[in-house]
Amino acid sequence: MITNGCMLKSFKVTEEKGNPLPPQREKKPKTSPCVLRCGTAYGNLLAMDDISAEWMTSPVRDCGSDNDVSNDDDDEDDEEEEPIRKRSKWPDLPIPAPWYGETSKETGFHRSSRLCLNQIRECLLEHRWQEAAEYLISYFQTLEEISTPRQLLATEIIFRLGSEILHQHPNSKLEDVNHFFDLMKNTGVRGYLKISLEHSFHLLLTGNFDDAVRQLTTAESWRYGKQSAVQADKMKLIHAYRGFLSYLSWISKKGSSSEDDDGDVSAIQEMHTYFRQACISLQEILKLPGVWDPFVVGYVNMLEFYNDHEGALNVLKEYAYDSRFPPNPNAHVYLYRFLKRQGSTEKKQIRVLKILGALVPSHELMLELFSLLLESGTEQSLKEALDVLFNLLDDCSWKHSVAAWTCFRNMIKLLRRKKLKHLLEEGWETRKDWWPAFHFRTYHARADFQLSRQLLLMKVVVASTLVGNSKNAFSACLGLIVPANPLGRCFPTQSTFLLLGAGKEQKHGLGVLVNP
Amino acid sequence: MDEELIGFFREPCSQCSVVNWGVTEEGGYYCKSCHNVIERTVEVTDPSCVTGSRVSAISHGAKKPAKQKHGKDWMVCEGFQFILKQQAEALLAMGVRPELKDDILCNFWRGYLHKSQQAYTTKPLYSVTSQQESDSCPESLAASELSCLSKAETESDMDGARSTISGWSSDGGRLSSVCTEALDSSLYCSARERRMHHLMTMPMTLAFLHLSLLWLQEAITLADLLRFTAEGHIPYINAYQNFPEDMKLFGRDALIFRVESLPSYKMVQEEAHNLAIFLDLPRFPPLTSACLLHPSLLCLRYLMELNLPDELHVWVCWVMQQAGVGKDTFLTYDPWAEKSGLLNYDILASALIVVTLKLLFKLDDQQEWCLSNSADDENKQNQDSSIFCFRKWYKTVQGALVVAKEAEEQAMARKSWKSQKPVYPSMRNKSVVIKRRRVVEQLQAQFQKLTGSDPQPRQDSPSSFRLRWGEEDGGGPSYQGRRLGSAVKKRKGSARPSNPTYWHTALSSCKPRHCTDHFLEMEDSLPRSYVSVLGMVSFLLGVQETHVHAEVCLLERLLFKRPCQPRTKTSHGSRRKK
Repeated sequence: MITNGCMLKSFKVTEEKGNPLPPQREKKPKTSPCVLRCGTAYGNLLAMDDISAEWMTSPVRDCGSDNDVSNDDDDEDDEEEEPIRKRSKWPDLPIPAPWYGETSKETGFHRSSRLCLNQIRECLLEHRWQEAAEYLISYFQTLEEISTPRQLLATEIIFRLGSEILHQHPNSKLEDVNHFFDLMKNTGVRGYLKISLEHSFHLLLTGNFDDAVRQLTTAESWRYGKQSAVQADKMKLIHAYRGFLSYLSWISKKGSSSEDDDGDVSAIQEMHTYFRQACISLQEILKLPGVWDPFVVGYVNMLEFYNDHEGALNVLKEYAYDSRFPPNPNAHVYLYRFLKRQGSTEKKQIRVLKILGALVPSHELMLELFSLLLESGTEQSLKEALDVLFNLLDDCSWKHSVAAWTCFRNMIKLLRRKKLKHLLEEGWETRKDWWPAFHFRTYHARADFQLSRQLLLMKVVVASTLVGNSKNAFSACLGLIVPANPLGRCFPTQSTFLLLGAGKEQKHGLGVLVNP
Repeated sequence: MDEELIGFFREPCSQCSVVNWGVTEEGGYYCKSCHNVIERTVEVTDPSCVTGSRVSAISHGAKKPAKQKHGKDWMVCEGFQFILKQQAEALLAMGVRPELKDDILCNFWRGYLHKSQQAYTTKPLYSVTSQQESDSCPESLAASELSCLSKAETESDMDGARSTISGWSSDGGRLSSVCTEALDSSLYCSARERRMHHLMTMPMTLAFLHLSLLWLQEAITLADLLRFTAEGHIPYINAYQNFPEDMKLFGRDALIFRVESLPSYKMVQEEAHNLAIFLDLPRFPPLTSACLLHPSLLCLRYLMELNLPDELHVWVCWVMQQAGVGKDTFLTYDPWAEKSGLLNYDILASALIVVTLKLLFKLDDQQEWCLSNSADDENKQNQDSSIFCFRKWYKTVQGALVVAKEAEEQAMARKSWKSQKPVYPSMRNKSVVIKRRRVVEQLQAQFQKLTGSDPQPRQDSPSSFRLRWGEEDGGGPSYQGRRLGSAVKKRKGSARPSNPTYWHTALSSCKPRHCTDHFLEMEDSLPRSYVSVLGMVSFLLGVQETHVHAEVCLLERLLFKRPCQPRTKTSHGSRRKK
């Protein structure tokens, strides 16, 4: 059986990166953004600004076209829908919905709900769950809102707030959560599938894997007049997640059957069943453009297990290179890792990584690209490698990375050896007006020294090469710092550092420094 | 009995066109030849209802229990009458004199019904025959969007018995639908009709109460009335919940009786003034200095509430005298007097206090702090704290006010507005509305269980005072007994404020309809301490600062009576006080 933690981890991935963004947005502007956000609510519940943002951005048409009070009679809904659409003054544009803020004409009821929402938001931000729950009791009355757009919004807000509070409240039990979700599902039939999906997420988070599967299976077979057709997008997501859960079951079966090698036939049979289930659903969702990272990883994993490397490669290539899909760095990462696992040629790997570098110049795999480029050794690839390094260090997340600066130092050494120092100047030209302020100030030196002595050493070498010896404040400041160290008595000159930098071992170099 | 009932009803059956009716046990008619049950039910007529002389208390309990399943026919003004009765009873429970309900409010109401031709008239605004014509359109909320211009002009000759409000009898051929709204609610849905006939609205119930209280000269000012309403001591939000069983709300009634906000001070005041004119009320009883509504007594109350020393009252009275606002000719309300609106006694009293503070402490962000320093010195010398120090007072009151404001905001956030008995806008939506109500109740119950909180929060008893001082759970120490000390100088035997100057904003009055209020544009240029004092006062009264400021300007205009001359806008014209 797969461990709970692993499962959670895989879900975290879903939340962070995998806001599946089906491209229907362009094709069907009527679909509200909420549709596209499935799976995010759990992670983002606290960010109430999201809700506000959604209020502002959800298209008016969305509210207008779904204009019916009764969720219960579909036929009547649809009769009514058309005339309203015709009557609507709004042009067919995604105009932001009115922001229900404070106005002079605000009714007392709306003022109460606005204040109440603010209070709940404060409580949530400060993790006062008990108080938030108390305020929520008062907030439930907004469900009885008369105007339909507001009512729909209230359902959404209450669903999100309620599930978050129930998730966090110390007294809440699983039955409470289930009861709440069931109530919400049947109140907002329009959000049935979304709420089902969230419900299964919650069950997964609390470790009820089987219940989550059951929840999704129920949702898969849900039919409710035309409501289920309207929610076709979400149905696809439900199928996909259902397939993903099958994949998780497959993994757990795989783990248990590999433990005892002579596993019986039925276990293997079962594993195959899960494989087939997962395959069908995942294949379907991968045909639709979107960000499907966890699904892709799972699918490829299964294909690799059954030695369908060709198929896996195709899936990954499709995912990375299909222009219908939104640009997704992870797609290239998966492809690169796959190629690496398969032991394919460096050329191929470099090609994938270059595309990744174009998307995310500061990606952690850029160091690998750097070493790959170095290995090939031509002047052109050296130039490219240098560019990669420069781009990497443009990003402030790499500012204090010893590895990156060490690479730079090595690069300088290499260029000097190969007499290609002019390459360095090309890259430096565009950066010389801001890198000194960005990397080589006195306080940078001080901070680097606190962090790691080696980092400082590397940076000094780079700085003295790039900026030049005479007026480099960064290297001059070393005189101020190093003596402060009880170990270092001497005042190292830049040349010593250069010598040290050229030495084989930094540690050894330091030893020389301390005992001259 | 059956024969008698059937005798009334001589219409052919819609299915077989035979007139052969029987009465079911539930009181419904069925056709004996084709067994078609129609929706019309036997209407129980009750003589006490027809001749009902006591308008102030329609007691539906006195009637025979209605046999109908879906309630009896009723009119909108009956509903309002019921609400008014409940509100009056709530006021009586607070200790208002009983005359309020039986004499004054009742008379006002009768007068209103008569003037608006809803009752006590031979030409009622609404008659059953007119309803028949307008009723041809289907009953649904959508119909309310059309302006239902029911022909009020088609006044049929009515006999005397019809002249009471419940004076329609059962001979109308109107087929009541399954769920009935009030008979004349369609009238109320058109703004034109409402204006033309001065029809009732929910804020008007408060206007009625205000006028009655004013007539009786009770100590409940309009600000108090609105506060009690907001706190739920006077039924207003969802007041229709308590209607008798057989008055069922449906459809358009919701638009009339459902309340989603509380009316503002200004609005109720205007309504009350219009109402007084509509009712053709005479001059109100003179407001003498013995009445609790008189500014000098109101000022005492507000001084106490603001935690200011009693000694100030002498000065307030002096200002009042100088401005000439203490006389009963000024104070007594006369709807027909020239350029007279309703006086806002509470705001006037608090403006008097603000003017007095300005007189003694100047409130220009300098003088009051200087005076506070000298008060501190005096206190240090005397080794006690008997002298009123403006700074200490300011800190105490401001602190308490911040707490009170926060509490008010939280109470507002928790306020419940929705009725436990929702009104269905139409039959189609009935199930949805009921379901939604049930879901809300279930959710509330679930979260109440989760939090372990009370379903019904306890309600404080009504109190005139919002802040309390000098008590253990009050807002802070009481400054009531402090002396003014060096803020007042004795000169030539009479006391004078030691502050030599007085500042005020431009005195010229604006054209009444062209510009309304300059407070917002001026607010930043006014001294901070003045604005804070305005803020305190306006919070206590529950009105906006601009109203209090306008009243202060009015008082200053009265104090420095000058011929009206256009002045350039100098907001800090300084002027020596005599």
